[in-house]
Amino acid sequence: MKDYEIVVGLEVHAELSTNTKIYCSCKNSFGSEVNSNCCPICLGMPGTLPTLNEKVVDYAIKMGHALNCTINRVCKQDRKNYFYPDLPKAYQISQSDIPLCEHGYLDVMLDRQGTMKRIGVTRIHIEEDAGKLVHDDSFAGSLVDFNRCGVPLIEIVSEPDMRSSAEAKAYLDGIKAILQCLDVSDCKMQEGSIRCDINVSVREKGSETFNNRVEMKNVNTFSGAVRAIEYETKRQIEVMEAGGTISQETRRWDDVKGVNSLLRSKENAEDYRYFPEPDLLTIVVPEEKVEALKQSLPELPHHRLLRYMNDYRLPHFDANLLVENLEKAAFFEDCIAIGGSQPKSITNWLLGDVSRILNEKNWVLSQSELTPENLMEMIALIESGKISNTTGKTVIKVLMEENKKPSVIVEEKGLVQVSDSSVLEAIVDEVLANNLKLVADYKGGKTNVWGFLVGQCMRASKGKGNPALLRELLEKAIAKL
Amino acid sequence: MNIDIKRVAKLARLRIEEEKLDKFEREMESIVAMVENLPELTDKAVGLDPSRPMGLREDKIRPSLKRGELLANAPQTQAGCVVVPKTVE
Amino acid sequence: MELYTKSATELGRMLRNRECSAVEITKASFSRIAGVDGKVQAFLTLNEQAALEKAAEVDQKLAAGEILSPLAGIPVGIKDNICTKGVKTTCASKMLHNFVPPYSATVIQKLENLDYTLVGKLNMDEFAMGSSTETSYFQKTANPHDLTRVPGGSSGGSAAAVAAGEVPLALGSDTGGSVRQPASHCGIVGLKPTYGSVSRYGLVAFASSLDQIGPMARTVEDVALLYGAICGQDVMDATSASREYPDFTKSLDGGVKGLRIGLPKEYYGEGVNSDVRDAVLQAVKALEAQGAQVVDVSLPSTPYALSAYYIISSAEASSNLARFDGVKYGYRTPEYKNLEELYERTRSEGFGDEVKRRIMLGTFVLSSGYYNAYYKRGKLLQQKTAEEFAASFNDCDLLVTPVTPTTAFKIGENISDPLKMYASDILSVTVNIAGLPGLSVPCGKDQGGLPIGMQLIGPKFSEETLLRTAYTYEKLIGGFDPIPTL
Repeated sequence: MKDYEIVVGLEVHAELSTNTKIYCSCKNSFGSEVNSNCCPICLGMPGTLPTLNEKVVDYAIKMGHALNCTINRVCKQDRKNYFYPDLPKAYQISQSDIPLCEHGYLDVMLDRQGTMKRIGVTRIHIEEDAGKLVHDDSFAGSLVDFNRCGVPLIEIVSEPDMRSSAEAKAYLDGIKAILQCLDVSDCKMQEGSIRCDINVSVREKGSETFNNRVEMKNVNTFSGAVRAIEYETKRQIEVMEAGGTISQETRRWDDVKGVNSLLRSKENAEDYRYFPEPDLLTIVVPEEKVEALKQSLPELPHHRLLRYMNDYRLPHFDANLLVENLEKAAFFEDCIAIGGSQPKSITNWLLGDVSRILNEKNWVLSQSELTPENLMEMIALIESGKISNTTGKTVIKVLMEENKKPSVIVEEKGLVQVSDSSVLEAIVDEVLANNLKLVADYKGGKTNVWGFLVGQCMRASKGKGNPALLRELLEKAIAKL
Repeated sequence: MNIDIKRVAKLARLRIEEEKLDKFEREMESIVAMVENLPELTDKAVGLDPSRPMGLREDKIRPSLKRGELLANAPQTQAGCVVVPKTVE
Repeated sequence: MELYTKSATELGRMLRNRECSAVEITKASFSRIAGVDGKVQAFLTLNEQAALEKAAEVDQKLAAGEILSPLAGIPVGIKDNICTKGVKTTCASKMLHNFVPPYSATVIQKLENLDYTLVGKLNMDEFAMGSSTETSYFQKTANPHDLTRVPGGSSGGSAAAVAAGEVPLALGSDTGGSVRQPASHCGIVGLKPTYGSVSRYGLVAFASSLDQIGPMARTVEDVALLYGAICGQDVMDATSASREYPDFTKSLDGGVKGLRIGLPKEYYGEGVNSDVRDAVLQAVKALEAQGAQVVDVSLPSTPYALSAYYIISSAEASSNLARFDGVKYGYRTPEYKNLEELYERTRSEGFGDEVKRRIMLGTFVLSSGYYNAYYKRGKLLQQKTAEEFAASFNDCDLLVTPVTPTTAFKIGENISDPLKMYASDILSVTVNIAGLPGLSVPCGKDQGGLPIGMQLIGPKFSEETLLRTAYTYEKLIGGFDPIPTL
């Protein structure tokens, strides 16, 4: 078998989380009673006209900035004509030759070592969603629910820059994280608020030309996207290995069965008869507004990830956990601002004990009493040897529930680390006396009992013993025996 | 000019009776022929007029129409929805 | 004089002076309809009971001393492609034979706020496609000046109803001449306003970039009154212009001294009937005698405008009319086995031939491989036409042309020849193509006694000038001809 390479391009459709629909003032919401969020406009009643929601333009431009696009301040909308019962006007208002944003890119991280790849973004345009068809086996026809008609969408079209399903997944995750970070889409897959069409072609490795591509529709989850790409790659290679050729066509992905099937061939391709939407005038976004939207962007997740990895030397795992949780990330940054400790020490606590306690209590960080100042002071107490790490675990539990200085807690509970040799020697002697058999084993070469003996000493010191000193004393005492 | 009248009819979801096909075709061709007399014009983008920028709508919810009124004109409804023949992809 | 012969302005004055009641005015309208509409066949739907209730309400308000608008209690007929909540709106098509809109057009809401009386809905060419009102699915409307002739179209019902004295005012819509041409054929005044000055919200779209609702009446003053009531920016129509409009009835008296009237030579060519040409030039002479200057201008793209018009309007129509598919409203074929059959049969049975012809043409010019050759060239020619008009207005304040090349033709005369029918629009479509205002004003009759109209065309938003010029002419000739005997 030859060595093949796959070429993947993605079209991501994301529903925008505006209050109202794109062309009328009906509520934009999921899960309402059927046909309850509709008006004559989104039902395409004769005589009705669309009016463009300003937030849709804002959100799309924000996404355009986030993906490094050129913003077409002057653009238009077009009609895409086709008949289907979920499309009441029999045309979708979309954008054809002049999208709101184009020529952008997204840098995605392909592995934990931070290998980066730039994926081109061809364009982002605004358009309206269609309604939903409800099928029921008990009923001979289909039912149409128009609630989703006119829900605003942005379509983000990538260049055919991805060479594996993993790259596609990384790109999709990146797009989703940005949409969520910008708060322009809630990206709820189970509600269909983010969906994608996938273009796949296969070629011999090293080839510069593109073969016919197959478009796959109906991919509603990112894990489905990975499976769909892998399935289609395999299918195309099998066809080519058998001496066949791939024709340009559209296939429908069935996520349950894990297979795709022909929807239409190129010969039967729809003729959408695009033309400029005459009911809407030219969109002209003032330059100042484009700039203001750019300034309003928060730090983007993929930028944040890189910063945490590069500036704070955090491992990918830690950095990624922070990026996925903006609250913890902000807390982390506050800790960094206070300074005094290694970033990794902060994430050890924040992503370790703190997160574990939050999980147990089913809290988010803000529901606890923990402050960056208290966490940093506690870490300082550990690093200066005032308390042990083990003691820290006790202190943090208190800090989660009470806004109290760690030094005060340590004082009140008598948790100060014991570094007095005479006190610790007495403890060591007692432990050894109670474990003569183990001492003999140890001396006989069973060194694995060492940890147990140390643990016994720590316990006897009620966790306050200076671990390093305890170890030293224990070693000496055994040697003397 | 040869217009594939059946293809156009299919696209428009119209059925033109066989006996009328010729007439339709001839009429359409004569109209299209008028267009072919159009002078050559400088090519530029159509559909953009930045001198008349569009006002945009504020993102504020207004009440929707009651479902009963919305679907009062529908030929067939069931369970609050419009009914169509089964769509299978 | 019977109430039905009076103008809306006069009726409003009488009402305010308690010389008659709104109920009397409304009854006069319905009694005229009962007397003549059997012959004219202008109305598709009558709204008699609601109209009488509305009139009674106006009378009560007046009795209570309320100050009402000049349109309060005035009977108005509405073309049946303008949505009226709760009142059937059919577009004279089988496709919408049973459609009762759940909302009203913006113009209707505006008129309701002024306490107008909705008399009924008026016949038209199906979906406003036609120039004779013969493509109506329901009935053929006759020209009140000669019942064997068409009233013009597509707003033929509106023009005939006003001309026959059934209503003093009507609304029509004009995509390529559909207000001006029937106004001309029926001897009344009709205005196609500047694109964007009247909201299209609720007007069932034929060609979105060309459609405008326009007022029709027997006097210029009435047209000014009704236009003032319906114009203005509408948040529901993104294409409506943002500007302030004056009270058009207040500036009718200014005369035409110094007004530069342009005569575009392309509009007086061979195809134009000599009676028509002579009558229009006669009217221009009369205005010249009042101090207007006449200049010759040229609009060289005019011969091509008709094809640009048919491409653009049909393309938009093919898309606008795609929604009529038997799913959400209107006609649905009784027999279908699957979705495709439902679509094809519903549309084939629901639309008449003229509508199908335009949908087919529009579908073709937008289809893959033909867009640039047809639609795009049509749009480019549209721009060029608009530029030529704009340039001509450097030399003159308005243009005067005939509205149509001939007077009203016989019912059935052109219906089987679409090209001949289309050619009758040649003098009016350019105004829509360029988005300009055009006013049709009666200016005499041909040898057969059929009305002739002249068309005043001005720059965008020059309605005030057009109306003032027409008003000057109307006063000059001592008023237009009275309502014909029926």
